Amino acid sequence: MAAPLLELHDLKTQFFTPEGVVKAVDGVSLELHAGETLGIVGESGSGKSVTALSVMRLQRPGKIVGGEVRFKGRDLTKLSEVEMREIRGQEIAMIFQDPMTSLNPVFRTGWQVGEPVRLHQGWDKTRALGVAVSMLNKVGIPAPEKRARDYPHQFSGGMRQRAMIAMGLTTTPKVLIADEPTTALDVTIQAQILDLLRQVNREFGTATILITHNLGVVAGMCERVMVMYAGRIVESGPTVDVFAHPKHPYTWSLLRSIPRLDEERHEPLKPIEGLPPDLINLPSGCAFHPRCSFKMERCSRDVPALTRVGDTQFAACWVTQSGVELKGA
Amino acid sequence: MITPLPIDVPAVPSPAAPGQPARSYWQQATARLRRNRIGVASGVVLLFFVLVALTSPLLAAIFTHTDPRSIDLLNTFLPPLSPHHILGTDDLGRDELTRMFYGAQVSMGIGFLAVGVSLTIGAGVGLVAGYYGGLIDGLLMRFVDIILAVPAIFLFILMSILFKPNTITLALIIASVGWGSIARLVRGEVLSVRTRDFMVATSSLGASDLRLILRHLLPNVLHVLIVFGSLYLGQVVLIEAALDFLGLGISPATPSWGNMLTNSETFFFHSSWLVIWPGLTIFITVLAANLFGNAIRDAFDPRLR
Repeated sequence: MAAPLLELHDLKTQFFTPEGVVKAVDGVSLELHAGETLGIVGESGSGKSVTALSVMRLQRPGKIVGGEVRFKGRDLTKLSEVEMREIRGQEIAMIFQDPMTSLNPVFRTGWQVGEPVRLHQGWDKTRALGVAVSMLNKVGIPAPEKRARDYPHQFSGGMRQRAMIAMGLTTTPKVLIADEPTTALDVTIQAQILDLLRQVNREFGTATILITHNLGVVAGMCERVMVMYAGRIVESGPTVDVFAHPKHPYTWSLLRSIPRLDEERHEPLKPIEGLPPDLINLPSGCAFHPRCSFKMERCSRDVPALTRVGDTQFAACWVTQSGVELKGA
Repeated sequence: MITPLPIDVPAVPSPAAPGQPARSYWQQATARLRRNRIGVASGVVLLFFVLVALTSPLLAAIFTHTDPRSIDLLNTFLPPLSPHHILGTDDLGRDELTRMFYGAQVSMGIGFLAVGVSLTIGAGVGLVAGYYGGLIDGLLMRFVDIILAVPAIFLFILMSILFKPNTITLALIIASVGWGSIARLVRGEVLSVRTRDFMVATSSLGASDLRLILRHLLPNVLHVLIVFGSLYLGQVVLIEAALDFLGLGISPATPSWGNMLTNSETFFFHSSWLVIWPGLTIFITVLAANLFGNAIRDAFDPRLR
């Protein structure tokens, strides 16, 4: 297999607050190959977004305190701010959660979509606008010449997210990080945006990291998935395998908590008991053990490492590493 | 944010119907401003004084045929409507109208220069403090606190003694105190804009700090500057007149509305027009500036809609 395009190695990002050190990302390693779509799932506060922002070095006020972000062989954490600016928007582009606030309200949409080529290719206004219009057309905005003259408030949520995607793609980046791109949109628009992302992935060969808390989105979009909990990756592997045979109790509980259409009616929902951990005072050992229904004596003592469990999957769990099958009542 | 309230301005359809080119924030604001009659009227008054200031030698040549410094001891204290001296003459026989023309140069010159300089410094400091936060913010804002804590009049007096006041130094002296409040206002606005997603989104495109601040942040706080600048103009004219009046302003050789007042206070009961002309003019100017400032605020401040 070719060398990965983007490689995170033991990345640690922390926020130093008056209450203590928040370990938002606590030793995340991952590989992203050219052209693939990788899903990162986890609940709010699990460190998904901070991981993405750390790749771009936009985690301010957090600090990257350890680890590497290798992109095309270079460690991004060591680059100067000027070198980093060349990466941002040109090599790696990012799409954000809320398209309502991700566009600057005072500029016409076409101008904004053309900003990356002005920044990176040094193109003038007219030429950048030309690219913007053709990109808006590609992402399915009708009458793009006209709409490019509109302000963001005249766009609907779905159209703004399309505009954001168009803006990210003007420089044909190698990697697109989509941070919950559909969370703020309604379901029909969600499907359209996901279709668009798939199409972009095919047409431009852009490797995509899709961050979401929606397991359904991951199932439909990603070849591989990583599950994050309390700043760590607790399970990773091919989406099909992870969903069919989860090897971490957290993934297992997440999948079990999804209401199913094919189940008996009146079946109560099965939430995960307890609350997400306090990232300042993480539980000892495995961070999930207070909420885990399989916990063993070792779980509260030692931190499990991400280790191969089964043929294709990796899990950070003492239970499954010792060969126990996850089965529930 | 851009959508005007229908109760406020029923005439504006918003957002623009599809197919029509969008009206920018700027166009909407100027449209609102144009509908405010008092605002437009006071704007016209201000513009009139600006034009007088810009063309005062020309006006003097056309209407009064005299120089503001030409002394005529045979024609002192002529009352208004005297031949060749529509507004009368002062204690040295100098033509009042000519001096009023030239006085506009001082008031308007200092007014706009001081506003411009305070806005530039204030916006710069506010943007930097708000954008970077942390230690830089702390240092800059404590400095502003110190400046604003000292009574401005003492600073004016001190600096008028240290620097020989002419139009430019006087404007700088006034601006050196005035930028503090602007810096505070701008910083506050920046703090709220900075946390909006589009700032991170724009950084993720690879924009430099300077570009982020000037190209993306500044337009979002511009309304604060426009509003404050227009309201501040009236204050500056008043401060300048007060400094002149106290003898700390422009040197008496140069006519200004303020020092014309000073000269004439002793003749108030004897020749009251010498007090009335500059006093009334200052009053009208400041009133127009304040009313215009209010109109601008109503038109430009997104929160008032």
